[in-house]
This record gives sequence, structure tokens and C-alpha cells, in this order.
Amino acid sequence: MAELILLWLKCIILYNAVDAVFEDQVGKFDWRQQYVGKVRFSHFDTHVQSSKKVIVATENNVFAALNTRTGELFWRHVDKSGPEGNIDALLHHGQDAILVVGNGRLLRSWDVNVGGLNWEIVLDSGSFQKACLVGQQGTVKHVAVLKKNIISLHYLSNGHQKWIENLPDSETVDYQTVYSGGNGEVYALGIVPHSHIVIIAYSTDDGEIIKQISVEAPWLSNIVASCAVIGQGVLICVDSATPSLYMYNLNPNMDDLQMTQIPLQSLGLEVAPDFQPVLVSHQPNSAHQPLSEFFLQLGPDNFLLLQFNNGQIVTLRDFKPALLVSFATTGEKTIAAVMSPKNKTACSINLFSAETGRRLLDTTLIFVMDPNGGKPEKIYIQPFLKKDDSVGYRAMVQTEDHTLTFIQQPGRVMWIREEALSDVVTMEMVDLPLTGTQAELEGEFGKKADGLMSMVFKRLSSQLILLQAWISHLWKLFYDARKPRSQVKNEVTIENLSRDEFNLQKMMVMVTASGKLFGIDSKTGSILWRHYLNDVPSNAAFKLMVQRTTAHFPHPPQCTLLIKDKDTGLTTLHVFNPIFGKKSHVTPPALPQPILQSLLLPLMDQDYAKVLLLVDDQYKVSAFPSTKNVLQQLQEMASSIFFYLVDSSQGRLSGYRLRTDLSTEQIWEVVIPMEIQRIVSVKGKRPNEHVHSQGRVMGDRSVLYKYLNPNLLAVVTESTDTHQERSFVGIILIDGVTGRIIHEAVQRKARGPVHIVHSENWVVYEYWSTKSRRNEFSVIELYEGMELYNSTVFSSLDRPHAPQVLQQSYIFPSAISTMEATLTEKGITSRHLLIGLPSGGILSLPKMFLDPRRPEIVSEQSRSENLIPYAPELMIRTEWFINYNQSISRVRGIHTSPSGLESTCLVVAYGLDIYQTRVYPSKQFDVLKDDYDYMLISSVLLALFFATMISKRLAEVKLLNRAWR
Amino acid sequence: ISTSPFGRFQVILLLLAFVQSVLVVGWCFTEMEAGPGAAMSTQTNGDRFKIEGRAIVPGVKTQDWVSTARVLVDGEEHVGFLRTDGSFAVNDVPSGSYVVEVVTPTYRFEAVRVDITSKGKMRYARLVNYIKTSEVIRQPYPLQIRSSGPHSYFMKRETWGWTDFLMNPMVMMMVLPLLIIVLLPKVVNTNDPEMRKEMEQSMNMLNPNPELPDVSELMTKLFSGSKGSSKAGSSSKGTRPAAKRR
Repeated sequence: MAELILLWLKCIILYNAVDAVFEDQVGKFDWRQQYVGKVRFSHFDTHVQSSKKVIVATENNVFAALNTRTGELFWRHVDKSGPEGNIDALLHHGQDAILVVGNGRLLRSWDVNVGGLNWEIVLDSGSFQKACLVGQQGTVKHVAVLKKNIISLHYLSNGHQKWIENLPDSETVDYQTVYSGGNGEVYALGIVPHSHIVIIAYSTDDGEIIKQISVEAPWLSNIVASCAVIGQGVLICVDSATPSLYMYNLNPNMDDLQMTQIPLQSLGLEVAPDFQPVLVSHQPNSAHQPLSEFFLQLGPDNFLLLQFNNGQIVTLRDFKPALLVSFATTGEKTIAAVMSPKNKTACSINLFSAETGRRLLDTTLIFVMDPNGGKPEKIYIQPFLKKDDSVGYRAMVQTEDHTLTFIQQPGRVMWIREEALSDVVTMEMVDLPLTGTQAELEGEFGKKADGLMSMVFKRLSSQLILLQAWISHLWKLFYDARKPRSQVKNEVTIENLSRDEFNLQKMMVMVTASGKLFGIDSKTGSILWRHYLNDVPSNAAFKLMVQRTTAHFPHPPQCTLLIKDKDTGLTTLHVFNPIFGKKSHVTPPALPQPILQSLLLPLMDQDYAKVLLLVDDQYKVSAFPSTKNVLQQLQEMASSIFFYLVDSSQGRLSGYRLRTDLSTEQIWEVVIPMEIQRIVSVKGKRPNEHVHSQGRVMGDRSVLYKYLNPNLLAVVTESTDTHQERSFVGIILIDGVTGRIIHEAVQRKARGPVHIVHSENWVVYEYWSTKSRRNEFSVIELYEGMELYNSTVFSSLDRPHAPQVLQQSYIFPSAISTMEATLTEKGITSRHLLIGLPSGGILSLPKMFLDPRRPEIVSEQSRSENLIPYAPELMIRTEWFINYNQSISRVRGIHTSPSGLESTCLVVAYGLDIYQTRVYPSKQFDVLKDDYDYMLISSVLLALFFATMISKRLAEVKLLNRAWR
Repeated sequence: ISTSPFGRFQVILLLLAFVQSVLVVGWCFTEMEAGPGAAMSTQTNGDRFKIEGRAIVPGVKTQDWVSTARVLVDGEEHVGFLRTDGSFAVNDVPSGSYVVEVVTPTYRFEAVRVDITSKGKMRYARLVNYIKTSEVIRQPYPLQIRSSGPHSYFMKRETWGWTDFLMNPMVMMMVLPLLIIVLLPKVVNTNDPEMRKEMEQSMNMLNPNPELPDVSELMTKLFSGSKGSSKAGSSSKGTRPAAKRR
């Protein structure tokens, strides 16, 4: 019993020993940025005049409200990723927003003010086509949803279905759009391509078909792409072949079987060659008819504002050149906004009256395009009436690189949201460069000696520079101290970037799926540079490598981004400076062949750039940089350069060796039978990882040596049979040089997704146990035994003894999104696992809990080794969340990077959001804690000092008195 | 003796029966699990069901927290949102067994397991127990998930106070004797002969057994002659339990 209590006490002590965040540390060295993704639909909240909300629905299945003044989020709802959470439509009415989600599976209504759900209903199956609000007698009460074969009407107040009707002939007719002009009918428009249009008018009240008619349109293939409804329910279509406009009047007693044709030539208009004209119409209020004015786009930069008036089409204004157009309504006024190019770097937006096409005075707004950004793609206008009844406006511009820019007249940028950062693919943390003076001092040692006198002078001058810098630093401190705290602003710019004492501030180089690269200051989170690569294929895979760090002044640091098209395998390289984001003048080699593998070798050329080896599909190797020096080094080193290739489609792992003529030779091959299992992932160790201790001291004072094979690969396989009784997850540990299988473990009745961390001498992986329906962790540790075979060098080719393998499994009470291990400079600090949870927390779990040597029965030895007794369930304690309440949605990756302090590891978690913080796995043992009590220590010192003074004096007096006695 | 083998046999039989019942239970259980899986594999677009419930944070208005809350079913397998009154419904869930969690950054909710049979009829909720997955503590359905308070994310700083310092056992151990050494002679005037007498008396009072000879006396007796050695030994034996008693 006493033993148990002791054990329990020990547990408590250990649990408490784990570091957590203190409340006063909030926001001190961590920051979070929240994103929503590429905007698909956006509406300004016009319900209240003073509303500051813009609601957005994005391609990342996020629905959010942004503050138009600051660009921050009011609220955000993150749905399931993938097609099931896909937002198909966004309709906005009053303070309700209606969303159609998951290809028409769900209909949701949100309260825009609170950000809470009003109702959610499940729609009948069928592929979604279009939804629209339906008004009657000036009020909007219903929403109509058109699917491939059905049309249904729902109440806005509670989502209940008012009626549902099967669409006639839905096998042959492709129903594409639905329209309501606010007078009691709902029109479903369908098409039989290159034959005719089917128009069905439904009664809003009971869903009865009022009229059904087919109209000949042999030239039309898609209603959505080339038609619009304008004015009093006139369907207008454009045909590029003829070229002409076709019109048809939608009304309950339609009887025409033909569309009225108006050739564009008769209007004096011409379509640009190979351009499909587009119509843009506007319906300010769903309870009323659309405007009779509309835009017709005739070329990539040519828009026309046309008016339909008594069966006639009138050209109100011709905009050329114009990039984008948009309608917007405030009160009774509707305006048309046109964005036209001004010069190479700027665009201007102007407002025009929609009814007359007249330009509104003082409505020019200049949008300055970022030379490192993309072209404008969409504009959203928020107009408002000024006191003198004239129209003012703000504009939100969306560019190709997913950036949202919110601008106010005459061109003041209120905020920018870099939504590309919602999809970070890979990242690196690069040390900041030394300052100019530091570099100058460093440079002194690098140069060749040129005479005694000049050396002395140089020394003196550099000392002078240091003195000067110090004095100016002091002066700045003094100057800042006098100013109030709020005015002191340390803005970080590229110019004043420099490394701090402990190298805690770094440059985060982030690569996003859209092909935009960012350089972010890790301390503040401010974006220091951005660079948009506009020729990146949509399905590209990226790999970022640091070829030269900042340590080699005056050579600039250099990063190489490998961009690979996943379909063709063709690869391009983008070489850039990670501190400034500028493209390097070094020209990367052209790679005509698909690339299979890339390796960054520890070899350096004469300019200190690490050598990148690229293996193409002919198994030929090319080096970058490929100077003579490099090739010579490669020839010398060739016999010790090995690499492996993974072909998961064939289930094949193969190892190759480099020959001196830069050709390759296969030396091993492991085939994993495809019928039974497939390779899911292959994980090696991180090259910048250091292991401090070679072994573990056991309870009996002997040493258990770790098996530290730097070439070890952990291969994860999953069974192809997904039945829960027969599915399994396999882990194979293979030596990447020899192909020798070190260990194989199979987890039966388990399935993926498997998350794995491979480091030092251990592999931790997580899987779903189908038998017990829970997530489980398993840890494998490899040990050489009580003696090291060769303690100086590890060679894969000379290791006769197989390592001892220990394994233990645990229950984890949550699913996980991603997993990574902390990393420190020298590897002395104990390791933690950083686990991203679906709830948004990042759990810092000490590796100590995942130790296969945790004993079931406690003995004296295991106690002296500090082993925690085995408990099947691992705990999630919210105190271990490194991001406290700053939850991160959809964590996809966690990047850990060592800092200059051994105790500190820099962590960046990215997903929909980005979060940066520091963790101290073994607490801050190398610096004073930030709550260190300077007052106490100084007061104690002072008190002791005075006490000695006084007692000395007293002793003297006593001595004197004694002498007198 | 003759009854004992029979008894043992009975025990074995009982054990067997128990094992069998466990097996049966286990078998039933796995079958129940296999049911939905099989249903899923045969009819891919099978019936979909709805998990309904309500989340309550006592003493907090729902508007203040629903915009940050989500309902996660089996991680992010299915996602539901909370209505402005705190109720929720996760639609489109195929039959199976799920862990339902209400997630907010501020409030803590217990996870609940919900099982839906392939017919969608028998849905019940129970508290999640990952270790004994077969143990069932039923909860009402639709779910009523009550928050057990705000999350505690932060550790308390060790604050430094005078009381902590003084109440430290080490400090107590050092300070108290010091006080006694320094203060006691000052309080009690040792030069006063009356007082000295009194103290001596009190010392004698402290001695529980005045009849016992003094140690020095004992020693002299011991060394003076072997005659009294046995007596001395017995008396020394006698002191020990007395000391123990004290």
C-alpha cells in the first residue's frame, strides 16, 4: 500500500515537472495568425448601415465574417475539409446567410451577427446546381434549391421544406439555373445542349407547374456560362459564333418558341477572336426584378455597359481597357465599378451610374499592384451614401495569389490578408544575418594578412566601430526610456533585421500551395517579403532546401525550392535569397527529365553552397551547383554516396550507389507485395538532429547503448484489405545504405492514417485500432546492448549485431492531426512530442511517457532510473497545450527548429492558421527564468551587506569595551 | 478431503461457464461492430443518420461561446455546428460507433460515445472509456452535454512571500533553536540562586525514575568491583524500556 502511495506521489511529481505556459507569458513570444483561404463568395453585410462585416465563404470550406476596418475575424466556422464540406453557394439576406454545403447535401442558415447556426437541414440527394432566394410582394421568405432532378422550396425562417417537385425529363434535360423575379413564380431553366432550352415556371405557393415550354436554341451549350436574366425577367444569352445576343421574355404565359436575335454587328460591337463573351447582370434585391442594365464582356480587357429598354439594346458606355467590373447597390442607388489599368504597377477603380453610364465625380481609387503579387481577379465594392447623398465606397480586391486588399478612397490600403498562408506546404527557419558592423568584424578575420601596420589599423578601426555602436545603443536606450511606452515602436523591416544574442529570432520561409513564397519574422509574425511564382502548376509538390546559411558572409544565403509537377514529374528550381526574398542571380540548371529524387549533400563548393544532387528517371545524376570543384569532390566521395528511391505504386524500395562517373548502380531492392499492403510513407531522420548521449544509464549503473543509425528508414505500410478484422498497419525499419531490414512490426486490426516520428533511436507512431475503436500510440526503441561495437564511427556496412528492439503501446484518448518532435541545438534537453489535435490544441507530450522501458512492476532499479510505471492510457492535460486557448484549425504540419539556447526549441504550427511559439522541454535551465526575482536577491544581498557592516561595527565597540574593562 | 476435488471441479466448471459467457459477450459485441462495417461496404450510399444533442455551459449566455464551438465526431470525421440555443445536430452520419466531442477553446466538455446500429434505431450514448471499451454507462439520448467549467491552460507561478519563507521546515528548524539559545538565558536569570534551585528541582521532576542510580554512579560501581556487575547489568536493562516509553 505504502509502495502504491509512493508511486502515486512520484507520478504526481513527474506530471508536475512538465513545463507549461504561465498566464503572464501570453503573447510574449508567441503569436497566431488566422486565415480563411481563397475567397469563393463574398458579401458585405448591408443589413445595418454601420455594419463592419464582410462575410466570406472560401475554397477551404470556411465560412467567416471579417472586420472591414481591421481585416480581423469576427468569427469563423471551419467545416470538414474535402468535398463533403465544400460550400456550393452563399446567399445573403438581412442578418441571415444561407449556405449550400457538400454538393447540395446540407442547407444551413447562419446568424451573421452572432456567428451561430440558425438551422441546418439535410436535402435530398442529387447533384446541386443552383440556389436562389425567392421573394413575394416585396419580402423574401423562401429559398429555392435546384438539383439535377428536383427543385425544392424552403422557408428562410426554419428551413422547413415548403414543397419539392421532380423536374420533368431530367434524364435528358440538364437543369442548370433557377430564377425568381419576386412575383410569385420560380423559373427552372434547363438545356438540351445544341437543341433547346426548357423553361418551367413553378408557383411559389404550392409548387404547381404554371407553364412549361421548350425554346429552340441550337447554338447554346451552357446556360450558366453564357446567359443572364435582366430587367422584367428577360433571359438574355450571348452566342460567340454568330455573334449575337438572344432574348426571351420569361412570364407565366410565355408562348414564343423562338428567341429574339440581335446581331452584335447591328449594335456596332465586335467580339475579340477566340473569346467567349460573358454577361454580368445584377439583382439588388431578390424580391424585385433585376436591373435592366448589364455588362457584356467582349474581350479580355473590353467591357460594355448595356441597357435593355423596350425590346431595344442601348450601349451606355464602352470600357476599354478594363480588367474587372462589378455592380453594387446602396439604398436605391446602383453603381457599376470598373477597374482599368493605369500603368504597369497600378490600377484605377471608377464608379459609374448604372442607369446612365455617367461617371460619378470624385470616385477614383488607385490600387497599387504588388510587383511580387498576382493580377487582380475579383473586386467587391462596398458603397455607402455620404451625407450629401453622393456615393462613397470601399473596395476589396482579390488577386491571383489569394490576397485580399481592402482599400479606401483615394487609395489608402486599410488591410491586406495574405490568404495564401492558409495553405502552407513546407517551410524552413533560416538564421538572420549578422548586422553590418558584426559582419565587418567577422570580415577582418576572413581576409588574408597584408602587412602589420594595416592589420593594426584595421583592428583599431573595428574597435572604434564597436565603441560607436555601443554608445549609440546606450543613447537609444536613454532616449527611448524618456518617451512614453506606447510611442516606442520597434518595427521590424528588412533593413534592421539582425540576429539576436540567442538566435531566437529567425526568418520563417514559407511555401504555399498557390506558389507564393513568404518571409516572416518569427518574433512578430510580420511578413517581411513575399514573392509570387506565377507559373506554378496547380498540383505541384514542393521541397525547400537551404543550400547556404547566413554563416558564410559575404556570400548571401541561398535557398532552393524544387517545384515538381505531380503528373508529369517535370521539375523546376527556384533559387532565392531567404532573407530578402529576391531571386538569386545563380541560374539553376534546366531539367528536361522528370526528377525522382533530390539529395542535399553535406559537401560544399568553394562558395560554401551545399551540393544538391538530382536523380532523373534515367537514373542519371546531376549536381547543382556543378562547378569543377564540386564534380571533383563528388568523384572522390562517390563511393560513400548512397540514396534510395520509393515507388509506392509498385511497392518497391530500392537503394542505389553513386559511381565516379555520376551514373548509378542499384545495390538493393525490397519489394512489398502490392496485393497485401501498400507503402504509405517513408521517414528518415532529420539531418540537423544531434544526439547528446550515446546511451542510457540503467539502475544498476551499467549503460545501455542506443542504436544510432543515421541511415535508418522507417517505412509505414497499410493493408489493402480494409475490413476491420483483417486490416493491419506495418512498420519496417530498413537501413537505407545496405537495404537490411532491421526490424519489422505489424499492428493487427489497425488502420491508418498513421502519423510517425522518427528520431534518435526511436520511432513513435499512431494508428487507429479497429478492434477497440480507439487511437493508439506505439513506440519502438533500438539499443545496441551493453557494449558498443564501434564507438567512434557508425557504418551501416560494418554492424554485425542486430539491435535489441523494445516496443510498447499506449491508448491515446483523441485522434491526432499531425505529430513532430522537439529539436534543440545539442540534443541535451529532453525530447517532447508535439501533437496537433483536431480540437486545435497542440499537446506537448514528454517522450518519457512513450518509453518502452516503462515497467509494469516497479522495482528499485526502475525507480532510480526515473521510469514512470506503465499505465495504458496517456493523458491529455490542457496545461500541456503550448498554445493555450489559441487553437489552430486543421493543423497540417509542425516545424521545429533549434535556437541558440540549448533549452529552447522554436515551434511553428501551420494549417489554416499559423502559430509560432517557443517551448522549453526541460524548463529554462540555461537562462534566468523570466519571473526571476531580482528584487529579492538584491534586497537579500543589500541586507547581508548592511548586516555585516553593522555587526562589524558592533564587534569593534564590544572589543573596545572589553579592552577598557 | 474427499469433497475438495469435487469442489475444485465445480470451480473449474464455473470458470469455464464464465469464460464461455465472456466469449459470447465478446462475440456479440464484435458482431455488433461488424454489422455496420459490412453494411457500409455493401451499400456505399447507405442510410445516414443524425446525432442530436445539446451543449450547456452553466451560467454563460450561449451567444458568447457558440461561435467558437464545434461538434467533432471521431476527430474531424464529421463536423457539426451549434445553434444559437446551444443545441446541435450532426447530419449525414452512417451507422457505427462514434466519439462525440464538443470543442471550444474556453470550456471543457466530456466526450460521449454514440452507437448507431445499421437500422439506425438503437442509438444510445455512453461515457467514453478507452480502456474497457465494453463497459457501458448509459447517458440520455439526445445528448445533454454539460460543461464542467473552463479549461485550465496555465500553471500558477511560484510566488514568494515571507510566510512561505518562514514556514519552511528548514528555516523553522534553524530559527527555533536559535531563538531558544539566545532568548532563554535572557528570560531566565541563571545567577539567581532561588531560580537555580527551582530549575534543579524541575530537572529532577523530569527524570521519571528518581530511584534509578545515575550513570556516573553506575560506572563507578561497575569499575570498583565485579560484585555489583550483575546488578548494574539488570538496572541498565531496566532503563531502556523506560526510555522507549518516553
